[in-house]
Amino acid sequence: MTDLEIIQLVLHNDRAYFRLLVEKYQKLVFRTCMGYLHHKEDAEDLTQEIFVQVYQSLATYKSEATFPTWLYRISVNASLNHLRKASKWGFFQRFENRFESDVPIPSTENPEELFIQDEHRIWVNKALDSLPEKQRTAIVLSKYDDLSQKEIAAVMLTTEGAVEALLQRAKANLRVKLQTKQKKNQK
Amino acid sequence: MNCVTCKNQVEAYLEGELSQGAGIQMEDHLSSCKECAALYRTMLLVNRITAEEKNVEPNPFLATRILARIEGLEEVRSKRPNPFAQKVLKPVLISVSIAVAVFFGVLTGGIYQTDSIRGQVPVELSYLNDASMESVEFYANN
Repeated sequence: MTDLEIIQLVLHNDRAYFRLLVEKYQKLVFRTCMGYLHHKEDAEDLTQEIFVQVYQSLATYKSEATFPTWLYRISVNASLNHLRKASKWGFFQRFENRFESDVPIPSTENPEELFIQDEHRIWVNKALDSLPEKQRTAIVLSKYDDLSQKEIAAVMLTTEGAVEALLQRAKANLRVKLQTKQKKNQK
Repeated sequence: MNCVTCKNQVEAYLEGELSQGAGIQMEDHLSSCKECAALYRTMLLVNRITAEEKNVEPNPFLATRILARIEGLEEVRSKRPNPFAQKVLKPVLISVSIAVAVFFGVLTGGIYQTDSIRGQVPVELSYLNDASMESVEFYANN
């Protein structure tokens, strides 16, 4: 059954079919949220919000874009909105994230090494989060969702050339930020 | 290879997009330049961290949670009164009940009479001063 057929069934009050869409695309939405939030529970909560939003606005879906593309757009916008709201409570969030990490810790028995890995994770995430929104979106869709430049362009409603430029700028910015941090650490 | 080229191509090298020749040049440069080697390690770290986050699996009950939430929202929506009742009937009922309350208030207020109205003393009796009269109680006690 195609996505469009499932959507038609859901729209004709056959709500049970929405399960098929959730099961098929929950990882896609979750991964995108993870790219922005870096926190498992927060990403799961946001995934839930996104699917409720998708269910409520399913009637507005037009088949001009593929369903996953539409879903990516909603996920990106919801994640950015969530971050904008969360930035008002930035201090508490940073404080909480400092002690909570849901990302599996690579196997190492050395506590010092564990601490360094955790520190590295924090500053890499910080560098990613400090990128401008468009560059960050391009990086998340490319690195977390493995989308091609063409697919990213469809999600961001732009051209492939623009996505290529965005990715290059994002990587250059990331490199500069991490290099600066690295130099500070070496001093 | 110089440092500028190395910095520009380090991402492509990590993603295996460089040609064999350029790859060898990159490796030579990385083994001789400490700063570029540090940058290479940092970019490697970025790839590792994003890959780790990418591989985090959501809770296996996430789909069930999502569907339960939607189910709950639908139930609330089905219990909600229809918009006609909400927008038209409710204000009409409130206005009618206020009007009825005011009407009965005025009606019962009209029935009630104060002492000054109810127990009016005739004019001829109003001059009678009974203060000087002895009461029965006075004779009984004496």
